[in-house]
Amino acid sequence: MSDLTEEQIRSELDSILERRSAATRLTTMGAGSDDLDDGRGYLATTVEGGWHVPTWPTQHGGRGASPSQNALIGRLLREFVVPDLYPFAIGLGMVGPALLAHGTESQQDEWLRPIASGASIWCQMFSEPEAGSDLANVALKADQDGEEWVLSGQKTWTSRAMWADWAICLARTDPDQPKHKGLTMFSLPIDTPGVEVRPLTQMNRDAHFSEVFVSDARVLDSWRIGERGEGWRVAMTVLAHERAGGGSRGGGDGNARGVRVPGWISDLQTLGVAEGQVWRDEVSEIYAHDSVSRWTSQRAADEARATGVPGPAGSGAKLRTVRSYKDRAYLANRSGGSYGMLIEGPGYIETMTAPSMSIRGGTDEIQRNILGERVLGLPGEPRLDRDAPWRESRRGLL
Amino acid sequence: MTEATGVDQLITETADRLFTQICDHEAVQNAEAVGAAPEIWSAFAETGFPWISIDEDLGGSGGTLLDALEVLRLVGYHAAPIPAAETGVLGGWLLANSGHEIPAGPITVLPNGTSNIEASLSGDQMTLTGTCVRVPWARIAERIAVLVEVDGQSMVASVDPTDCVIQPMSNMAGEPRDTVCFEGTKAPAAPCVAGVNPEAFRFRGALSRAALMAGAIEKMSQLTVTYTNDRIQFGRPVARFQAVQQHLVWGAQEAAIARMAAETAGREANRGSAFFEIAAAKLITNQAAARATKACHQAHGAMGMTQEYPLHHYSRRLWSWRKEYGGDAEWSKWLGNAAISQGADGLYALVTGGSSVLS
Repeated sequence: MSDLTEEQIRSELDSILERRSAATRLTTMGAGSDDLDDGRGYLATTVEGGWHVPTWPTQHGGRGASPSQNALIGRLLREFVVPDLYPFAIGLGMVGPALLAHGTESQQDEWLRPIASGASIWCQMFSEPEAGSDLANVALKADQDGEEWVLSGQKTWTSRAMWADWAICLARTDPDQPKHKGLTMFSLPIDTPGVEVRPLTQMNRDAHFSEVFVSDARVLDSWRIGERGEGWRVAMTVLAHERAGGGSRGGGDGNARGVRVPGWISDLQTLGVAEGQVWRDEVSEIYAHDSVSRWTSQRAADEARATGVPGPAGSGAKLRTVRSYKDRAYLANRSGGSYGMLIEGPGYIETMTAPSMSIRGGTDEIQRNILGERVLGLPGEPRLDRDAPWRESRRGLL
Repeated sequence: MTEATGVDQLITETADRLFTQICDHEAVQNAEAVGAAPEIWSAFAETGFPWISIDEDLGGSGGTLLDALEVLRLVGYHAAPIPAAETGVLGGWLLANSGHEIPAGPITVLPNGTSNIEASLSGDQMTLTGTCVRVPWARIAERIAVLVEVDGQSMVASVDPTDCVIQPMSNMAGEPRDTVCFEGTKAPAAPCVAGVNPEAFRFRGALSRAALMAGAIEKMSQLTVTYTNDRIQFGRPVARFQAVQQHLVWGAQEAAIARMAAETAGREANRGSAFFEIAAAKLITNQAAARATKACHQAHGAMGMTQEYPLHHYSRRLWSWRKEYGGDAEWSKWLGNAAISQGADGLYALVTGGSSVLS
């Protein structure tokens, strides 16, 4: 498909989407409403032109766009009302790219287009009680039984599980291999017999995370993503895309065309906060940092598009984006005087969500390790459990 | 009495033991769901703790302001869901110092002043009209101590909450912060003794919050040390990682700073004027709360974000309390003005001498 000009793209989008205005306020990722219809409607509308995942092949709901065309479409989409796609983000931003990298042709045919059109929602069964930052320590086991696998174990912090149709699940297939080598990735329908989802209520009263208990769930071998023992490699692709923020298009403040002041600043103006000199300093500093965050994220995304693989720049982008979010939350919460302590007060959701931002999708500490080792070439953390069989290393060696 | 704190050791031990018994995670969680904790209040009231620092002949339990602040520190430390500050050092103080009877049940006060209220006096009866917001625990109070100035004289009306319309609201921690509407509400009123006035009340409110916050930060720090020593990742307790140890140090030093600031302010207030120390203590605990919640949540990882783990009882209270009786901006401005009023030559004297220099 040949590249379109900015005006051509804008006119195409104009025919299917509504423009943002200065008054447009969309919900926060992960703390938004339970309304799936807005996102579903948007994706169903954009899938014909392949506008939401432009780099995906046309037959899978994309438009085979070049990296530069993709970047341009992404920028122009911010001028339109794109609902919070939180429920769909795992499929769009993480599973989709991982399937394009590691999936078989028939897996791509079966799963990609429903992701792009919003017809199917995916969740990610990765973390376990004993495998958080130390993700390679997963214990949920998968034993092969002819053309099927039998899965048993427990996952936790599984976001979106209550909406999901499908999950990708990291499982231990070879406990005698070192921990990174004995893992395999599977897909499974969330309603597979033996899979039970139990919501886990967060302190912000959000119940979008779940524990998932799996007992003798049978999964087809044709749902395995990548080779046996290659699960870690597939997981790294998924996580790199998570850091690069591939799924997060939509929601947020966006840019109404011709409007320079972001919504969070006009909200502060409404509260009368922007009058004071000290507040102005803080607002300006956050605004500047925010802009750099956005550029860093764009640079990371562009780099990922150019190379086809998200690199460590995504870690830098995530660190910055998280810091921006926290600073804005802290400012908003203090700006309302003692009104700000109420559940109805300004910045409530943001204040209650802020601590999780530097934890979910890889903690700040993990992101800094990635930067230290892969960008600066610093020596890695001592990893005494790297070569020992997982059966041994899981007991703790240090 | 210990030399260091000036607090009766027996108070610390008894209050700590009591709260350990009655304020476990489930009890605090349940109080939030229900919006009250009558069993915890009864056990607390039985000991006489709520009325410490109010003279016995005025209906209190005796003891000093320092003793009362120590109890508040432990209320914060255990996230006890009760109007301890409101009943004692705030509401009890107002009622006792205006000749009102101290009721057997909880008392509350109007933390945000009474500029929204019209008060008219006829003999010893006051008529109140207007709306007050974010009133702690109004829904369970037996009396609301309303402090107003009438013709330059500070007066306290002892209002029966059943004569008001109360709309339940909550702070971030799920503690009641109700809206109270006075609709021509009549209540007995009396003048305050010297030194009890809206300004003194505002500082006392800030002091009460500093004590609560110091306790909550200390508990958060201790929870974090315990959790990170128990939590194993990469084959060892996460507390062995330097990056995590830095968070632990942040938590611990904020706890130490907050407690030192709150106790210093308490000691000065117990002696006399302490505006400077209280302003500094509230600002310091506010800022310590921001840094400590950040560090402790980060060290806990995802577990600290769940309802089932107790960290949120403390972090959400701190995020709320830091905004009550003066946020960062308000106290920064007050301290800045105090420093400027002393001039360059007076700055050192102010920093070392505190409130005694200001009077």
